[in-house]
Order: sequence, then structure tokens, then C-alpha cells
Amino acid sequence: MRKLISFCILTGSVIICLYPFLWMFLSSFKTNREIYQPTLLFPENFEIDSYQSLFSEQYLPFYSFFSNSLFISGLQALFATLITAAAAFVFAKYSFRGKSFLFGVAILVILIPKQAMAVPLFDWMLWLGLQGTSWSLIFPGIASGLGIVFFTQVFRKIPNELLELAKVEGFSIPRTFFLILPLVAPSLITYGLLHFILSWQEHLLPLLLLDDENTTLPIALSKLRDSSHRIPESVGMAAATISLFPVVILFAVCFRKMKTALVHLSLS
Amino acid sequence: MVLSQYEKGSLFWLLVPFFGLWVLFWLVPLILGIDLSLQSPTFTAPHREIIDSTGTKPPPFSLSWDLPENSEVVQGDNIKYIGLQNFSNVLEDAKFYKALRNTLIYVLGSILLLIPLSFILSVCLFQLSGFFRGLLVFCLMIPGLALPGVLSTLFYLFFHGRTGALNQYLVVPLGFEPVNWMMDPSFIMPSLIIQAVWRWTGMVTLFFLCGLQAIPNWQWEVAKIEGAGKWLLVRKILIPNLWHLALFAMVFLVVDGFASFSGAYNLLGGSGGILDSGLLLVTYVYQVAFPGGSGRFDFPGAAAMSLLVVPVTALLLFIILQGRRRWVLR
Repeated sequence: MRKLISFCILTGSVIICLYPFLWMFLSSFKTNREIYQPTLLFPENFEIDSYQSLFSEQYLPFYSFFSNSLFISGLQALFATLITAAAAFVFAKYSFRGKSFLFGVAILVILIPKQAMAVPLFDWMLWLGLQGTSWSLIFPGIASGLGIVFFTQVFRKIPNELLELAKVEGFSIPRTFFLILPLVAPSLITYGLLHFILSWQEHLLPLLLLDDENTTLPIALSKLRDSSHRIPESVGMAAATISLFPVVILFAVCFRKMKTALVHLSLS
Repeated sequence: MVLSQYEKGSLFWLLVPFFGLWVLFWLVPLILGIDLSLQSPTFTAPHREIIDSTGTKPPPFSLSWDLPENSEVVQGDNIKYIGLQNFSNVLEDAKFYKALRNTLIYVLGSILLLIPLSFILSVCLFQLSGFFRGLLVFCLMIPGLALPGVLSTLFYLFFHGRTGALNQYLVVPLGFEPVNWMMDPSFIMPSLIIQAVWRWTGMVTLFFLCGLQAIPNWQWEVAKIEGAGKWLLVRKILIPNLWHLALFAMVFLVVDGFASFSGAYNLLGGSGGILDSGLLLVTYVYQVAFPGGSGRFDFPGAAAMSLLVVPVTALLLFIILQGRRRWVLR
């Protein structure tokens, strides 16, 4: 009985969550007139014009926006994972003078997010000559405070004996770190994914920092809507559908690992 | 672990990448921001004027803010420091308070709705078997994976409007008048909050579910032997075990809420909506600094505003972390 009730609650909320996305997918085949009737689910006839005009880059260079987004988010997530993991490894396992100061300073990043510093960041990137390039977006995201918190918790669970063993074997500390990395692979994947999503969704910084030809998907999508009177709504819907794919696929592939890592993390 | 001098040196190589980037892309912009916030806007603006090679002024910046070819930023000496003038300007700005209040409502509203909702959903999920559990939580997470812009577009096209889904399926069947979500000032904030809840519920549910799975079995056994009631189970096992995950989620939501921009930007086109009732802090900073909104081009004012938000966020996080002491250690 209890199972039935919870099953009903869950099914209801899943439907609420997913129905709009189904509507979005089907809307990419609709005409404008049909889209403006939100209660209509199925289009009268499936027109694939929207996908054609998107991929033939009739309105904007969709391919390059898409690959830019992938490039920026992927690289940022990769660097952020490795670099914050390295720093957090040191914080979790070794003690040295000034450690708590450095840790506190790293945590401060959480307090002042990079979006709040968009204006001076813009100036600074201009001075560095990076403004407009993808790197101006990749670099600021790497030093992440949440990553430090997350990985410090992860590495605390690695037994000290392993490190002592590595020391007896004569491995240097950086080498030890790289040897330990495979042990925390689920956590690395989890954090990498979360970081990927957050930078995939970033809107303000690309809007300010990137050149038009280097823009990312969120900007492209809002452009498609901005001029919505010129561009059929279905094109925006098609772009939105496609923008969902990489993240959902990545998530589906790594979902199990992610759950393992989170369960492990909350065993404290 | 005790380290030799040589080993301490090698720690350095693991820390350097992080702190190098930290200094370059966090500390330097922060210092620049503080410096900027002390400058006079009227003296600073021409210094930032961008002149292309022909000497003509470029048209007002487009939304994407691209520099024309062959242009250079004129570095003038005409920077004038005016002390804390910018800060007091911001503090006298009624619109700033409006934005601050809206953001606080947005953050607190989404937390208060999200945490209990995800708690209930995760307890429900916990009663199902493995395969369904994974499948359903994955489905719940899909809105969190979508771009916020997509969510607000969907909100605009699907949910809102007189014939929209919210009105058709919820408001009218309950016997109320249809709500004009985006045009009625008192409903803009709720619709932003609904979007936030829609977006993050799945993620927080997953967190809680993993926390539930990590509860050691003996706790349930003890509760069974003692014959504990449902309410006692919730209070003595679920809440203490999930509290630190809820805390992490709250910190995340506060930080994300204060930095949120994309949803409101897409929904309201960079403006604050009717009577500015959907104006969030980042949107306002954007309006002040860049000519998307008012065209004030006030870099120093924007920098001062960004800095003034920091104590508010810090206070909120502090309250949340204090709450933990009161609740968990009791």
C-alpha cells in the first residue's frame, strides 16, 4: 500500500517534470500557430524544416556554437577536476604551515562567484588579450571552491597506510597522487560531470566575454528567441532539443558511478 | 603525515596549478573590482571608450559586446578616485533594494519549497526497488540538465499565458481566475521560483536518496526493536542522517540563486519585467554596466554593487551553517 502511494507520487512528479520536454520535442515539428496552443501535444503533420534550417545554418552557425560549447565545458571540467583534486589531496592528507589559511582562502571562492566579478573580469581579459577567445571562459572556472570541499571529503576516506606504502616504495608525492586517482574515479567523474553541466549552462560570462563567432549554446538559444518574430519558434525548439542530448547522454553513461560516489561520500 | 623538507617542496607542485589560477582569475579581478568601485563613473567612462581606426565612435554595443576590428581601448590617465561615493550611491538606489529583495525571496522561496519536496520524493523513491529507483530519479533530474534558457523558453511557451498549461491544468480546475503569470507583477517572482524548483528538485532528490542508502542498517533494526513510530523515525534517523546533505544543497542553492541570470534574462529579455518585479541582482548589475538595459555604462557602480552583495551572501551562508549547530548537535 505504501509502495503504491509512493509510486503514484513519483509517477506524477516525473510526468510533471518530463511532459514539457516531450512537448518541446514534438513542438520542433510544429508550425508557429500550433506552438502557441500549449495544450496541443501532437503536431498535425511532422515537418522537419526546423532541423533542416538549423543544420544548414540558415539563421546562425549552429555547428560551431555547439562545438564551442562542448570544447569550453569539456576542457574546463577536465582541468577543474584534476587541478582541484590535486590541491584537495594535499589539504586532506598532509599538514604544513599555513595550510588552514590556504584552505580558507580557497573556500572564499564559493562566496564570491565569478558572475559577480563579471565587470572587472571583462577588463582584465581585455588587458590579457584573451577577451573574445574561448580561453577567457575556460580559465576563470577552473579554480572552484566547491571542488575543493568535495575532493577534501573524498580524499579523507583514503587510508593513510596507502600513502605510507607509497612512501616506502620511494614514490614522490605527486606520483602518489596520480597513483591514487584511479581509486577515486567515481568521485572524479561525478565532480567532472557537475562542473560540465554548470559551465554548459553558464550564460552571463559568455555573453560578456566571447566574440560572436565563439559564442556558446545558451547565447545562441536566447538569440533564436530574441528575434522570434523572424525565426519560427520550432527552430528554437529544435535547438533546445539538440542542446539537451550531450548532457543527458553523458549523465546516462555515468549515472551509476555518480550514485556510487555520492553514497560513499555520505557514509560518514 | 610528517614530511621531510624535500617532500614539502613537492607538495608545492600539486598546489601551484590551483593557486596560480586562483590568483590570476579570482584575486586579480577581485582587486580590480575593488579598485574600479572607487573610481568616478563619469571620468572612467570616456577612458573606456572604444574608438576604431577611423576615429568614429562605434554604434552602441550590441548585446554580444564585440569589439570592432582595428579598435583599441584608449588608456587615458583620467581616472579619478572618489572614495566610497559609488557605494553610497548604490545604497541610496531604491532599485538596488528591490533587486536585493527579489533575489532574497527567490533564494529563500526556492530553498523552502525544494528541500521538503525533495525529501518527500527521496523517501518515496527509497521504498522502490533498484531499477525503478534509478530510472525515476534519472527522469526527475532531466530538467536540471537542460539549459536554464530552455526551461524559461518552455515556461514562456508552455506554462504561461491564458491558455498555458499552468492555467489550463491547475488554476482553472481549482476554480480560480486564470493568472497572467508574466504580466502580473505579483506573479513574476513565483514563476521564477517555480522554474528554480522544477530545475533543481531532481538533483537534490538524488543527493537525499544517496544519503538514505548510506544509512547503516543497524539504525533501522534498533528502531524496529524499539517499536519507534513513524514520526520518531523521521526525526531521529532521517533528519540527522540527511542534514549535512541538505546543508550542502542549501549552500549550493544560495550561491546559485545569487548568481542566477540566465532564466530571468531569457524570460524578461534583460529587463526587470513589469515594475521590476522580476529584477534579480545579476540582471541589475548587467543593466547598470552594459547598455542592454538603461545604458548607464556605469562600470564602477556595477563593481560596487557586486561587492555589496558579498556580505549578504556571507550572512546567509553563516546563518545556514549556524543552523546546523543548533539542529544537529541538540
